Amino acid sequence: MDKCWQNHGRQMSMIRNIFLFLDRTYVFQILMSSSLWDMGLELFKSYIICDQNVHSRIIDGILLLIEKERNGEMVDRCLIQRLLTMLSDLQIYQESFENKFLEETSRFYEAEGRKIVQKKEIPRCLYHMKKLLEEEIDRVRTYLHLNTQKLLIAIVEKQLLGEHLSTVLQKGLSYLLDENRIEDLSLLYQLFSRVDCGVQVLLQHWIDYIKKFGNSIVINPVKDKTMVQELLDFKDKIDFIIETSFLKHEKFIVAMKGAFETFINKRPNKPAELLAKYVDSKLRAGNKEATDEELEELLDKVIILFRFINGKDVFEAFYKKDLAKRLLLGKSSSVDAEKSMLSKLKQECGTAFTNKLQGMFKDMELSKDIMIQLKQYMKNQNIAGNIDLTVNILTTSFWPAYIPKEIQLPPEMERLQENFKNFYLRKHSGRKLQWQSTLGHCVLKAEFKKGKKELQVTLFQTLVLLMFNEGDQFSLEEIKVATGVEDRELRRTLQSLACGRARVLIKNPKGKDVEDGDKFFCNEEFKHKLFKIKINQIQMKETIEEHTTTTQRVFQDRQYQIDAAIVRIMKIRKTLNHNVLLSELYNQLKFTLKPSDLKKRIESLIDRDYIERDKENPNQYKYIA
Amino acid sequence: MYRKYDSTRIKTEEEAFSSKRCLEWFYEYAGTDDVVGPEGMEKFCEDIGVEPENVVMLVLAWKLDAQNMGYFTLQEWLKGMTSLQCDTTEKLRNTLDYLRSLLNDSTNFKLIYRYAFDFARAEDGVSDCELPASTLAEQESEKDQRSLDINTAKCMLGLLLGKIWPLFPVFHQFLEQSKYKVINKDQWCNVLEFSRTINLDLSNYDEDGAWPVLLDEFVEWYKDKQMS
Repeated sequence: MDKCWQNHGRQMSMIRNIFLFLDRTYVFQILMSSSLWDMGLELFKSYIICDQNVHSRIIDGILLLIEKERNGEMVDRCLIQRLLTMLSDLQIYQESFENKFLEETSRFYEAEGRKIVQKKEIPRCLYHMKKLLEEEIDRVRTYLHLNTQKLLIAIVEKQLLGEHLSTVLQKGLSYLLDENRIEDLSLLYQLFSRVDCGVQVLLQHWIDYIKKFGNSIVINPVKDKTMVQELLDFKDKIDFIIETSFLKHEKFIVAMKGAFETFINKRPNKPAELLAKYVDSKLRAGNKEATDEELEELLDKVIILFRFINGKDVFEAFYKKDLAKRLLLGKSSSVDAEKSMLSKLKQECGTAFTNKLQGMFKDMELSKDIMIQLKQYMKNQNIAGNIDLTVNILTTSFWPAYIPKEIQLPPEMERLQENFKNFYLRKHSGRKLQWQSTLGHCVLKAEFKKGKKELQVTLFQTLVLLMFNEGDQFSLEEIKVATGVEDRELRRTLQSLACGRARVLIKNPKGKDVEDGDKFFCNEEFKHKLFKIKINQIQMKETIEEHTTTTQRVFQDRQYQIDAAIVRIMKIRKTLNHNVLLSELYNQLKFTLKPSDLKKRIESLIDRDYIERDKENPNQYKYIA
Repeated sequence: MYRKYDSTRIKTEEEAFSSKRCLEWFYEYAGTDDVVGPEGMEKFCEDIGVEPENVVMLVLAWKLDAQNMGYFTLQEWLKGMTSLQCDTTEKLRNTLDYLRSLLNDSTNFKLIYRYAFDFARAEDGVSDCELPASTLAEQESEKDQRSLDINTAKCMLGLLLGKIWPLFPVFHQFLEQSKYKVINKDQWCNVLEFSRTINLDLSNYDEDGAWPVLLDEFVEWYKDKQMS
């Protein structure tokens, strides 16, 4: 057949050449008849190709050859090419070949697609698909008509991948993401973006994956310790995948944000709290693992996580508590880092959010100035004193609430306090000073037999230790009477001094806990390799207590916020249906809430005559002016 | 002719309402005070043949617009009895059926039900419920409070809804085990609404509706109970 066509072609061109002149002049003028060449083709077509037998043999032959090639056999590509050119020259390419060919292709790849998706692992399956696609494109280039390319590739894509989108993703996406297979993911994305709704489906699975993985980090209380770090790592990984594999596709970024927000708020309050604590651990002194730049970068990442969290007030409460500790105990590693964190928070949530935090910083700075003035004043007043006093003046509303504890100070310290009080109130009359004994700390000079030491201790520890200037041995009860420190607190203090790492006191009888009737001696033989020693107060269950009060305060604040929001809305709307009110509240309030929480507040407001229930329609509320 | 006229005159005089007689009638129970107190009330109930804890007394109190449970003031008495056209025990006794019938009208019932809350809240002695002494003492201190003590509430609910709401025993049981110590007016009013609109199997209860949390909890509790 091929030969026959070639012969015909050769003869035809010869005939044409001979009659070229005729062709050009005569045939052109008579429009009815076609050129000799065309006529030749026409004749060939009607006599040879249109013969049913020959026709079907040609087409089937070609298809058979292509299928053989698809199955990996070597075939004569030139032959196919020549035959197909013939068909297209004869203008029957489309009707007699293309349609059948596409049908055949569709059938072939349907089977192929099913086979590879079922049998192969996803990464290999993806590569295989990619290879098949490339082969098809190559096929088009070498011997198929260019017009066919679009249709062909579309069919291949659809049959090979489009039909199996979900299967592929279910089987392989989480594996690829878990293993962080960047290249495979890129390929996956490329392939999927070729197919109709491929990206859509991928997006859905992407969201599901993030939610599922995130949930597993957030929900499990056992993982609380590492939650934030894991979240940060996860976020990094996801970001990297979006950037490299998904070409920063806008939709994927948006979806990722949505998914993060959903799962992080699945568990109310805890993530916010842990995030605040995480920041605390990074900002606290002694954390030398990161350089300033690294810290800065880390804080930026934390802020991004923070952005997803609904209960920002919880974060604020815990952050504030920890910040107070850092500032007062001088534990903050760097003022710059603190300030930068603060400005980030400010940028994120506005001044109202950081107002109090900023107030705390301001207090600290003002206190420094006041201390300088105090020294001046002491000099002028000729008040001698061998004890340095540093006072931080804290504005009550900015700082966390501390419960003042009554204690008995030794006379020298009492005098100092009195002194400061006179000085301060002379400048700022009308203010009320309240001493927070729990926050005080002192440096004591002590002479032991083995040498001088400087002890850095809390105020309570100081009170106990100062007693041993007067005597050698005291019982628990005696110390309690003398210092006035509350029982539980005192036991803890003594424990830190007599049972901790640096034992400046000796307890009799020995033991880990302080019992009634225990006696304490000064440890004259005390030795330590350092000159300056810091004796930590033993942290007891206080943290749990602190924790619950902090959370409680947050909830209290929230109730006021809810009440305010309800009244605000009702004042504008006058009457409102229950469900409409609820949805408006959800819009206004940023933290996660159960409907029953809101209902309780609504009922409370009804009870307090801010609003009332419509007498006829219990689903309707009315504002009472 | 004259006699006949006379006798009808006497008869109409007897039948017609007389403020004077009404006033005398009041002092029969009030004694020297301007208010019928607990003792007078007891006697009054006995005379009209009704136990103090009968629901009809509540309707009467509503008609009189009495402010405090267990007490009728002179003003309340005169105004209320005038509207009922009663100036003797006998006339009132004949009116009791009418008073009872008021409960059958749903609009009136709602009014009485709402009135009962304020009425019971304002009381300081509890005449129609047997309460332990300790709650009595609490009651006194709560005189000005906006809410109704849970025990009083349970009694009042029993009085009003006990016979007409099949779920009342279950609801009563729920209140028994709940941590609620008081009921506020909103909750009170919604209980009536609930008893009127919600099917006995609770199938048409909408958790997302505006029902007070108290009722949400009741429904949840009841469903749990049925499950187990």
